[in-house]
Amino acid sequence: MRFNRSVFFAALLGAAGLRGEAAAVIEGRVTLPPAPLPALVPQRYEVVTTNGVAATNPPQAVVYLEGEFAAAANPPTVQLAQKGLAFVPALLAIQTGTRVEFTNEDDTFHNVFSFSPTKRFDLGRYRPMDRPVPSQVFDTAGLVTLRCEIHKHMRGLILVLNTPHFVMTDAAGNYRLEGLPPGRYLLKAWLDSKTTYWKSVEVVPGTTLHVDFP
Amino acid sequence: MAAIMLVVALLTVAGLSIAARSAVAGAERELHAEFRAALDALNTAREVRALHLAQRCRLLVENSRIHAALEDDALDLLYISARDELSDLMAATSAAGRGSPVRARFYRFLDARGSVILPPNDYDAGAVSRDQSSRLGLSHLPVEAQIGFIPQLREGADGGEIDEVVTTPIVSTESNRAIAALVVGLATEISTASPGRNGIRRGLWVEGHLDLAGVSAVTRSELAQAMTALFPVSAAPSTATTIEAGGRRFLLLGQPLNRGSLYPAAFEVFLYPLDASAAEQSRVRWEILGGGALFLLVGMVASHLIAVRLSRPVERLAIDSEANATERSRAEAALELTQAELERSARFSANASHQLKTPVAVLRAGLDELLARDDLPPAIREELVGLVGETTRFTGMIEELLLLSRMDAGRVRIEFLPVDLVHLVESCLDDFSVLPDPFELDIITRLPQSLEVAGEKRYLSHVLQNLVENARNYNRARGRIEIALRTEGAMAILSIGNTGRSIPRSHQAHLFDRFHRGAAAENLPGHGLGLNLARELVRLHRGELRLATSVEDWTEFQVSFPLAIENSSL
Repeated sequence: MRFNRSVFFAALLGAAGLRGEAAAVIEGRVTLPPAPLPALVPQRYEVVTTNGVAATNPPQAVVYLEGEFAAAANPPTVQLAQKGLAFVPALLAIQTGTRVEFTNEDDTFHNVFSFSPTKRFDLGRYRPMDRPVPSQVFDTAGLVTLRCEIHKHMRGLILVLNTPHFVMTDAAGNYRLEGLPPGRYLLKAWLDSKTTYWKSVEVVPGTTLHVDFP
Repeated sequence: MAAIMLVVALLTVAGLSIAARSAVAGAERELHAEFRAALDALNTAREVRALHLAQRCRLLVENSRIHAALEDDALDLLYISARDELSDLMAATSAAGRGSPVRARFYRFLDARGSVILPPNDYDAGAVSRDQSSRLGLSHLPVEAQIGFIPQLREGADGGEIDEVVTTPIVSTESNRAIAALVVGLATEISTASPGRNGIRRGLWVEGHLDLAGVSAVTRSELAQAMTALFPVSAAPSTATTIEAGGRRFLLLGQPLNRGSLYPAAFEVFLYPLDASAAEQSRVRWEILGGGALFLLVGMVASHLIAVRLSRPVERLAIDSEANATERSRAEAALELTQAELERSARFSANASHQLKTPVAVLRAGLDELLARDDLPPAIREELVGLVGETTRFTGMIEELLLLSRMDAGRVRIEFLPVDLVHLVESCLDDFSVLPDPFELDIITRLPQSLEVAGEKRYLSHVLQNLVENARNYNRARGRIEIALRTEGAMAILSIGNTGRSIPRSHQAHLFDRFHRGAAAENLPGHGLGLNLARELVRLHRGELRLATSVEDWTEFQVSFPLAIENSSL
């Protein structure tokens, strides 16, 4: 359920980047590493760091088109919840300039903070009913590790991208990027904090390109 | 006659000199015993202090911000994050932290290789000389906390003070490996300025450095030289040894302070100046001999009697004061231990709350998600619903345990407010009326219009719920529950009775014990904490909960609560 929502979310964001140009599509498959543990219960995505490498478990990738894109005219506001003592979604991809609201859906205090060089902030302790919902604008591209000062096990990731064209893969690694403007770009697939694949692509209007990673 | 006198005199002199010698030997034995007693009392106090500090450090190294600074590439925020967490430990020397048994002088972090990470300033993290700082590092990060003693070397100074450090590894929650360590340095409390009774001085001996207050710098350096000559750097005598320094003789005893530590071996040393005692001994010997000669002249019998009469109360006085001092230091150590235990248990219950509840919440969430699936076979669904019920029971149990432990630590205070007990009973029954009722119970209430007692609503309602739940669970098919409320003097008396099997007499005595469950309880929900908690809560309300009766097919509990003041003053 959570997974579906995050995919929906990402799709929604992808759709927001849709322009008037002749729509081109890139689709394909990112080969994801095997999930470390077999799922006993329907697994929710969580961020796991092993030897300094942060990734989601089960694995999930973000595919995005890198190039010269104008900053978003009306930066969107998206929500990242703290629910069941976890960040939901565990991995959130956004365009630079996006405001993220950190909603608290547990019946306890949370204290989101990040020491990541990309964006440092500390929202302090707050309850579900506190208004306005504490939020942050992410201006710099890069990876942000979210933590909760109270619940030491909680981890979340925000991947801030300089592009409106990005999408999360599904659990099998399949992705589809729609409404792409023509031109030469780098197509990248972010797998974990230390692994990003890329391939140069030429987007031709009205065509569908098939790109698999790696 | 003269020959007899001579013989007697010779015998007396011989006897007296033997007595003098045995007195000297006795004094030495006493000295050793005193060493031991002092050591034992000090050891207990030190253990308490070490325990307290280790616990503090363990909590500190779990801090989220410190972990974030180390794990998220934000070393510049490391000392800033630590500042707030350690400020009370550091401020202990100022007014804010007075009373804390542990006072830090400085703190530093070690990186993954065991070298010191330099702080941005010495103001928050405490000043450490360059040499001392380099001695804080370790060849590798330890698995467990390490205790070290690091001399504060100053230019040109031979002795100087020695700091005690506790180095606790910071274990990454992500890799489960030590990624850094926290070093907390404290001024040692060992080398106290004043010598103890009988001139015993305590000091520290580490790597050829001696920290010993109350002796001149010259004596100290001579002692250090003598000790270096006598013992290897990493050792000290474990039995009392005589040592000579600067023309004076001392009795020396050492005991290891950090056995097995990665830091250099350190010893607490006890020094007892023997020249003072030698003078004392010879004085005693001459007094005894001179006195003996005098007594011989005056009359042996009389002198003997006088000596006995004089010495007995003095001896008793000496023994008494000795016993008093030992008793006092023992009591002080015990008091400190109790204080630390209390703090520890209070902290434990606060921590346990999260540690215990989180996994249950996660378990519950997982089960809920599983239940939301459409493709579950009914048998598995039923099993899952049962498991969800178990998590609820588990959460309830954790909460009751926590409440009990808070009460045990004296941390639950009742805010006495008027509470309408009738209303509370009715709402409690309301809650139960929505639950399935397999026994088809008949509930009879005899309640006044309203009756206010003094207490805190949530606790009172907890007690009620527990009693009504029991009355319901231990009932029989088509049985009944009777709830009656009346006043008796300044008390409200609530009785809750139910049909069903009675409680065997042998069980009645243990009914309110923790984790006691009735014989009929095998298939019933519950965990044997309810009645114990209920009684504790009632007692906090200055009331009483008791089993009024349990005969064939009728069990009745009675609770009394003080009436609200507004009512009783009318």
